This record gives sequence, structure tokens and C-alpha cells, in this order.
Amino acid sequence: MRGFGAFLGKELRETVHTWRIWVLPAFILFAALSSPIITYLMPTLADRLGSMPQGFAISVPDPTALAAYVEYLHNLGELVMFALVIAYGGIVSSEVRSGTAALALAKPLSRGAFVLAKWLSQLLVIAVAAVVGTAVCVAVTAALLGLGPAPEAVAAVAVWFVYAIVILSVMILLSAVLPAPAAAAGAGIGVYAAFAILAQFEATSRITPAGLMPSAQAVLNGEPARWQAPVVTGIAVSAACLAAAVWRFSRREI
Amino acid sequence: MRLIAASDSLGSPLVVALLAVLALVELGLLAWALIDLAKRPAQRVAGGSRLLWLLLCLLVQLIGPALYLVVGRVDAAPAEAPLPRGPGGGHVARAAAALYDATSASAHPTKADALPEPSGNAEGSAPAVELVAVSKVFRTAAALDGLSLSVPEGSVFGFLGPNGAGKTTTLRILAGLACPTSGAARVLGHDVAGAGGDVRALVGFLPDVPAFYKWMTAPQYLRFAGSLFGLRGDVLEARVAALLDLAGLSGVGTRIGGFSRGMKQRLGVAQALVNAPRLLLLDEPTSALDPIGRREVLEMVAALRGRTTVFFSTHILADVERVCDSVAIIDHGRVAAHAPIDELRLRRGGMSRLAVDVDEPQRLAAALEGAAWLRSTEFAEDGGLRLATDDLEAAQRELPALVARLGLALRRLESDELSLEDVFIELVEGERR
Repeated sequence: MRGFGAFLGKELRETVHTWRIWVLPAFILFAALSSPIITYLMPTLADRLGSMPQGFAISVPDPTALAAYVEYLHNLGELVMFALVIAYGGIVSSEVRSGTAALALAKPLSRGAFVLAKWLSQLLVIAVAAVVGTAVCVAVTAALLGLGPAPEAVAAVAVWFVYAIVILSVMILLSAVLPAPAAAAGAGIGVYAAFAILAQFEATSRITPAGLMPSAQAVLNGEPARWQAPVVTGIAVSAACLAAAVWRFSRREI
Repeated sequence: MRLIAASDSLGSPLVVALLAVLALVELGLLAWALIDLAKRPAQRVAGGSRLLWLLLCLLVQLIGPALYLVVGRVDAAPAEAPLPRGPGGGHVARAAAALYDATSASAHPTKADALPEPSGNAEGSAPAVELVAVSKVFRTAAALDGLSLSVPEGSVFGFLGPNGAGKTTTLRILAGLACPTSGAARVLGHDVAGAGGDVRALVGFLPDVPAFYKWMTAPQYLRFAGSLFGLRGDVLEARVAALLDLAGLSGVGTRIGGFSRGMKQRLGVAQALVNAPRLLLLDEPTSALDPIGRREVLEMVAALRGRTTVFFSTHILADVERVCDSVAIIDHGRVAAHAPIDELRLRRGGMSRLAVDVDEPQRLAAALEGAAWLRSTEFAEDGGLRLATDDLEAAQRELPALVARLGLALRRLESDELSLEDVFIELVEGERR
């Protein structure tokens, strides 16, 4: 892991100095702000749609804090995950393509440190963005709809965070294996879709990382959740993806 | 300013008091949360899981210390003396030489103490670069085909070849960026693939088209490059200032994305020297430079002779003739010639050439027939004679005497040495035939 600290420092500075800082935090903040506001305004918006044809009616439930948190979690699970997959398609390969990796890796920086520093830096970005976004969502929700089940919302976001770690680790592996960012992003969307399908089945949802989003929703709703197994397998899958990414990248020609 | 000064000084009583209060509050909150979590039944915890909240409390507490331990620390070290600065020609060469002198005077930060003894050689006698039957095959095309050569430590070595000959592939293997399909590549006596980072710590590398992080400035990039070699604190800052001076980039605050190609090339040379390497690998280092920049880089390379080994790939033959001690010419992934430059010129047929200009060249040519030292005679387009000889000393002694005996007017008699370009073209075309 030679050079890990120096390269992690460069990754964190790069995140601040380039467009990367805006993508995920912007999506998370957008979800944090829009979820409670849209939930709060939904009855008014439904009224503004005007009269419906005879026989049709729109039933809009009263806005609640729980509904706002559900919407926020839904956005984290879909909107933010798509952004993550697209943004990180070239997280490893783009440096190889541009030639910047050659200059860094000709120095005593290990390939493992190169890959893991990229992973950890983006993990920190997601963690900070999730903490700030959730605080914003709770504050806006409290102002518009009351505090509601805020502790459950925070716990649900913590489970979502494990899901984000899994998807980030998968993208690191795909970007280390596939030279084209678009190909890695496409494969990442395929993995995301596979998780969504597996989440529909009780057996796979109970024990695989595919069950992380259903578990987060259950935590938010205050239902008895079985999040332990998906969290453990999610962390295991992440570790396996990182190990495979380091192994593959160590053998790749730069 | 007072706020900044206070934040930088942990010794201020007010700051110490504030930090102590903050630490106590933080520790108190953590202890309170953990004790409450331990006592509270799971049914009375949001989400129904105490473990989840425990993980959350502990992970959040870890982020700050982890960040500090990973990226927040720099080692204090004694400052090095600044490098001498001066305008005009030779400044770059003096700066490069001083970089090594300053490094050898202090502890060498990149000395590979962790490296085992060089394989098969006594310490100090191993060649700087040793390639043994190295082949590299990309799918079906062979970029290198049994390439073998040896470069002694401390020399300036020219690595010549036409486009596609395998120069860049060889340098990428030596830099640890690619692996040979077969054969062995050793740097300073150590296998490049096996020793990994320990060998790369002794090497500086400039690729043919250096690519940098566009958002960085030149000082930021050099600090980053130095930190990868473990340089920190005042040592790193002194090295960065010296290299910026060497590259002519002192005071340039623009981001690298706005640099010209020549500026990038000079920054590339500077970053390759940041560790004062024992082996400097330069791939076409002068290709993007203007005449002044090219001269400065060549002066720098010449100044490094004896201080480090320079392995210098180029297709500009004049550069090689100017600074290199020895040269290898490769074509189609094989060594076509490998020798000191002077020897290479002479080795072509073992001949030297003389240009002779007299008023009656036909008479002189007739009189020369049968001379023991003469191998061939040609009439040049300018009317003079071109003589090939395997005994230059005898020719230079006997020719003027013969001209005098014949009563001819000697207008010119000079050695018409083969240039490296002649050798290069002949060897490469000979290989292709």
C-alpha cells in the first residue's frame, strides 16, 4: 500500500477542484430538498390539475413527514444510484486512458493503493453528502410537516449507505476491468437492474445485498427489519469486488 | 489574521481551553450515547436495532481521526540549502547538478534500503539497465524481439530507433508499466517486476507525452510527485522550489491545463528528477521543445553524467551525438548496433574516410593505386576524391608526401567522418533489406 496517503490526498483534492464534487452531493441535496417540498405541495398540485373527466378521480393522501422520508429514500435508491453508476464508470480507467496513471504508477505507488485510494475518497464524499443531505431533508421536513420519524429516517439512510458502498465497489471493479467508461457504466446499470430483480424475491432479498433497499424501507416504516444479513453480505461483496479490482489492475498494462 | 494565527497555534491558552472543552463534550456525548444504547431495550430504539446505532456512533467518530492519520500528517525535516540560481546559459545544467549534490550531502530519501542484494552481481557493479532476450508481443505483433543490452551506471545512453522500433515499449517495461512476454528486465541489478516499488523509488521516468492533472498547478504537481517518494515537509518544499527553477516555471501560478506543450515537457523533466533518481528514463525528452529549451535539456542531461544514469530515447540524432557516451540502435524490436558513438562510426566496415581536393584528382587517383592503406577511391560530385582507409594514420602521413611528389596543389585534406545519421540510416535500411 505504498503511496496510499499521498494518492488519497490527491484524490480528495481532485474531488474538491473538479466537477466530481458537484455530481453526487448535488443529486443527494436535490433529493433532500425536493422530497419534502414535493410531498408538502402534492395536494395543492393535484388541485391545480383542474377537473378530471367524469369517472376519474385522483386520491392524494395528506402529506406527512413519513411520506417525505419515504420519497427521499426512494430518490436515494434510484436517482442517486444512477448518478453514482454513470459518474464512476471511468473512475479507474479514465486515468489510464489520459496517461496520468502512467506518471503516478512509474513512481513507488502500488497498484493496490491506487485503486483503494480512489474507493476510499469517493466513499468519504458519499458519506459526507449523505450526512449533509439527510440533515437538510430532516430540517426541511420538520419545517413543513413536523419532525416525524427522523431517527428511523437516519437509520434507513445508514442501511442505504451500505448499498452505496456495494455499488461503488462494483463500479471500481468494472472500471478496473473495462477500459471504456461507457462500457463500465453500462455494466453497472446491469448490476443495478439485477439487484432490483433479486430484491423482488424473498429468498434473495433476505440474504443478499439486493435486500438492502427493502431493508432500509422497512427500517423507515418501523417494521421489524432483517437488515443484518444483507449488510453483512453487502460488505463481503464490496470487499470481494475491491480485492478483484486490485488483483486485475495489478496485472493490467498501463 | 489573528484567527488564522490562533488556529495554527495549539500553544495559545484560549485555543487549548476551547479544544479541551470540545474534546470533553465529544467524549461525553459518545460515552452518554453508548451507555444509553447499552441499557435501552431494542424495542425502545428507533429502527429496532441497537447494533446499527452503535455502528453509526463509532463510524462517525472515526472519520476525523482517520482523515488526519491518512492525509493530515507531514514529517518535519531539516531544510536543505537552496540551489544556486543564475541567469543565462548553463543555469539549468547547474541546477540539475546541484540537485544531486544537495541530495548526496543529506540523507538520500529514496535510497532503497529494503532492496535485496542485486542478483548475480556484487553491489555497485551491476549495470544500471540490463535487458536479456526481452520479447514483448501484443496479440500477434512483436514489439520487442529478443532485445538484449546493458547500460553501465553513470553513463548517458542514447536509445535510437525509427518509429515503431520498440523504444517506448522498452522504456515502459523499465518503468514497471508493462511486463515482458519473455526475457528479463533488470534495473540496478534488480528485476523490475519482482522488486516493484523499491526499484521504482530509484528511477525517474518521463514518457513521450507526459499527462498531468489539469486542475493542478506546477508546484502542486511536484509536491504530489515528491510525496509519492515519501518526501515531506521542508525537504519537499526545497526540492519543489529547485525543480520549478530548473524547469523555468517559478512563479507560474496557472493550472497545468493551460500550459503549452513545451511547459508540460519541462515540468515532465522536473517531476522525473524529484527523487534525484539513480536511473533517469527519458522518452523523447526534447521532441516538444523550442531550440532554447532543447539546448537546456541537453545541457542538463550532460551535467548529470557521472551523477546518475540517463537512458535517453530519441530519434534526433544530433542530440545523441551531443550528449551520449554510448548508443544502441534498435529496429523491429532488435538491437542493430550497440557501442560507444565513436566506435560505432568506425565500426562500419572498420573504415575511416578522407576528403581530398587537388587540382588534378585523376593523377592522384592513379598514383594511389596499390597503396597498402587504401581500400577504395571515389570521385565526389564536387570534383574531389573520397578515400576509404583502414589505417588513417598512415594515410594522413603518406598522402601529403605523395601530392608533393606529383607536384599537385593540395587544396583540402580532411577526415570525412561518418555521422551517426549515416550509421543509423545504413543500419536500419540494412536490417530492412
